[in-house]
Amino acid sequence: MKHIAFAAAATLALALPAAALETPRKIVDYDIRVSFDPETKIVEGSETLKWTNPSDAPVGELRFHLYWNAFRNDRSTFFKESGGQLRGDKAETGKGWGYTDVTSMKWDGAELIKGARFESPDDGNPDDRTVLAVPLPRPVAPGETATLAIAWKAKVPKVYARAGYVRDFFMFGQWFPQIGVYEPAGRRRRTDAGWNCHQYHANSEFYADWGDWRVAITLPEKFVVGSAGALVDTKTAGGKKTLTFEQKAVHNFAFTADPRYVVVEDAFDPAKDIPKDEIALASRTLGRSEAELRAGFHKVAIKLYRQPEHGAFDRRHIEAQKWALAWTGLWAFPYPYAQISIVDTPEDGLGATGMEYETIYTTVSLKWMSRWPFTRLFVPETVTIHEFTHGYWMGLVASNEFEESWMDEGINTFTELVMVDRKYGTYLELPPGIGVTNEESNRVSALTQDHDPILSSSWKYATENSYARNSYPQPGTTIQQIRRLLGEQAFWRAFRGYAERWRFDHPTSEDFFDFMRASGNPVVAALIQKTWYGRGWVDFSILTATTRPDDGFTGFDDADKPVNFDPDPKKKPPEKPDEKKHKGPWRSLVTVSRDGDIEMPVNVALTFKDGTTVKRTWDGASGWIKYRVTSSSPLVKAEVDPERRAVLDRNPWNNARFTKKYEGPSAAAKSRTYALHLVEILLSTLWGVL
Amino acid sequence: MSRGFSTAIRHRRLAGVLWLSLLASALVSWFPLKKLFQPMDEGAFREALVKGWDGWGFLSFLVSRGPEIGVALAAVTGAFIVFALLQIFLTGGVLRILIDGRPRPVFARVVAESAGLFKANLWATARFALTAGIWMALLVAVPVALLGKLGKDAPPNTFLPDLAFWWAVVVGAVVLLNVGLRFDLARVALARGDARNARGAYRVAKQSLSGRRLSGIRIVLFWLALGVAVQAVFTSAGLRINPRTNSAVTGLLVFRQFGFFLLAMVRVGFWAALLAWEERRRPAYSVIGSASGGTTWKSSEEIATSAAASASPETGSSVTTNGSALLSS
Ligand SMILES: [Zn+2]
Repeated sequence: MKHIAFAAAATLALALPAAALETPRKIVDYDIRVSFDPETKIVEGSETLKWTNPSDAPVGELRFHLYWNAFRNDRSTFFKESGGQLRGDKAETGKGWGYTDVTSMKWDGAELIKGARFESPDDGNPDDRTVLAVPLPRPVAPGETATLAIAWKAKVPKVYARAGYVRDFFMFGQWFPQIGVYEPAGRRRRTDAGWNCHQYHANSEFYADWGDWRVAITLPEKFVVGSAGALVDTKTAGGKKTLTFEQKAVHNFAFTADPRYVVVEDAFDPAKDIPKDEIALASRTLGRSEAELRAGFHKVAIKLYRQPEHGAFDRRHIEAQKWALAWTGLWAFPYPYAQISIVDTPEDGLGATGMEYETIYTTVSLKWMSRWPFTRLFVPETVTIHEFTHGYWMGLVASNEFEESWMDEGINTFTELVMVDRKYGTYLELPPGIGVTNEESNRVSALTQDHDPILSSSWKYATENSYARNSYPQPGTTIQQIRRLLGEQAFWRAFRGYAERWRFDHPTSEDFFDFMRASGNPVVAALIQKTWYGRGWVDFSILTATTRPDDGFTGFDDADKPVNFDPDPKKKPPEKPDEKKHKGPWRSLVTVSRDGDIEMPVNVALTFKDGTTVKRTWDGASGWIKYRVTSSSPLVKAEVDPERRAVLDRNPWNNARFTKKYEGPSAAAKSRTYALHLVEILLSTLWGVL
Repeated sequence: MSRGFSTAIRHRRLAGVLWLSLLASALVSWFPLKKLFQPMDEGAFREALVKGWDGWGFLSFLVSRGPEIGVALAAVTGAFIVFALLQIFLTGGVLRILIDGRPRPVFARVVAESAGLFKANLWATARFALTAGIWMALLVAVPVALLGKLGKDAPPNTFLPDLAFWWAVVVGAVVLLNVGLRFDLARVALARGDARNARGAYRVAKQSLSGRRLSGIRIVLFWLALGVAVQAVFTSAGLRINPRTNSAVTGLLVFRQFGFFLLAMVRVGFWAALLAWEERRRPAYSVIGSASGGTTWKSSEEIATSAAASASPETGSSVTTNGSALLSS
């Protein structure tokens, strides 16, 4: 049965690319005028929103996200979930609070705001003000476009979580009344049409419909502004300026303002910036010609808005950006927009750091990382790559972060580890090679106890740590495990297939799995079931590894004749033969075990004293397997998964055992010698003081 | 400086005692460290770790051995405390041997002399910690806090925040050097017998410092830099050696201990140089003890010659019953 199902899935996958969209389906159109006072942090805004009902059903009520109400007071769901502290940054209560108040919403001249109410669909929190439900005097008919005139007033919060201000630095993310998603039946596999408009949670914020934005921002002249769009108009009057930006085919619009920004401009040029060996590798692996792979690439303008003291990082961010544009273009699909803006947040505004919005994102530079030996600590590069690539995972392949945060952060962690390791190697490499790769730093999650399946709504995990583990490193590592199981060709073809099919569309977890399962590998299908829908884990180990001389037969034979022993009780029993002088043969016994509920095939390598290694593949289906070997040379080492392909292995240390015949040098002695020296170095620093 | 080097070489046995104190203290953490790393010979990363440093092997080791690492770190903290106490103890004896000039026998003498001076040295150390704390608070913590308040709205990496950072680093170092130098001279005074207790010793040290603080700090800085250089050379060489056999590991152990022995020699050299510097201010004769505690006289040939060459010798007229009074006249 299983196999038939897989065959069906494969056919489906082959048929899917035909459904891929060339441009997104336009549901919204925003024309926003906003002005803000950097002294009072008060924002006055008005927007004309054209919203098209995408479903077959009439819609009698609209839903809006008012994200900044998360910062209104300590009773918001966001504040309760985060405890006023997120990603190491703490909220400054008091004057740091912020809010969004919709003062008017008109449709066909009728004021709707009087009938509006707040909803808390996720947790029923009566005090949360982040979702506004607006009943309509008459339903919006299927396919009809409603044009709404909205006015609002807001106060910018002090930045501790993504959006806000510090001094004169402003990050406007999720800043305007944004309509929720009315999902037609069939979208993301749902059966009935309905609103998908979640509250603002500490851990998630992204899911919206595509459309076009026109945003006019009025602010004091001294500010430098970077945004998701292209600047189309500038007007100045009375010490203030109004900048108008436009961006089409996005589902989000963010901007930043700071008088201190230095703008560094560069451009991604496919002719120069696609590494030759990378396109050759992609061509071989994906089975597509280099010309075909190059086809969708075009020049992309890069603008870096950076703090004046971070000049040392210009090249680092821009090189990382170009590499990410080349890599995603080859292994997913080419970046469709004309520009990308990188925001370098100030070091006292790290709450805004490392955030993704479409065609604009925030990255990090810390001055001390520009000095030796931290120039090889590729954190700024990693953050740039990570945040840009969110433009794909959740951006262009627009998943629902609220409900499936792994599709945003987890796929992104996976592509990050591939990109960062390929370009940068290990972090902070000290002689003799001390350092770890990005993949290894993520793989740590597989070593620890889990409390949730990977797949869960972002606010429903057992703990904050469980959310983080199951949204970032664990799905990243599990996708890496799928890659190891499928092999490079099958995996990357499926991966690119998924990206191309779901570009400009809204996939769900199962849409990703369909591509991963398409090649019919039952191990992968079971792995997905056990990890995304369960708390599956695996630990391979060598339980026993022994070797002893095979001295042949001893005892009574069938004719009751003593063999190799003297039955006379008065005689001294013969001395045991000296093992050292034993010329062979040897008998060895190795027991390999698999703990946990994930099954996967592994290799078992038996190494003998004469240097020969025998490899066997074990399907890992049973709990354990025994290998009995007779050999001319004694067994010295037994190892399971010597290639380290089981990246989910919960304890990699128990993957090998040495027999008494092993005579190699001691790693323990080496390590404790270094440790002793380290202690002596530490103690001897006291000679500088005492 | 040359006096420091020649003394360090002549008193290499003394350096040996210091090195032994380092090794012995470090060995306090030996068994927990041994137990911590023992599984490395069982596991999958044994051969990789012998070849080099397997990143994943190390990372997974750190993550999965939390309790053992905790025990080892506690043991290292213990070793640190033992070593600190040993140094407070031994410095008195080391100074006595250097003042005395006889390089051997050394071990029993260092221990005996140290024991006699330990209580006073402990008080001197406490006073050092207290004064360092007070000066740090006054000259570093308070100004940095003020600068922080002033620069509350200043962007990071601009003048005020940078000034606060560099103020903390530079003034902190200056405070430590000053307080440390006086502490060192107080211990010299105790070893010489210029004072009977820590309070008196600090008073003697103050007079010894007056007017020539800078040249004293120069000595401290020179030997500090030399120590850092020795440490850096042996540490980086030790890392580069990357032993791949059991005997190479033993070789590394010996090599690195030689490095620590050299560091101990630098320590001896520093004390010798400081003693020589301090002598330049000494009269041909000095008075030991206070009036109430009875008067003991002590003359040292070495001191007399060096004092004659470098300082204006003072004669009977300025001799009083209190050594410190003599120096302040
Ligand atoms: Zn992310």
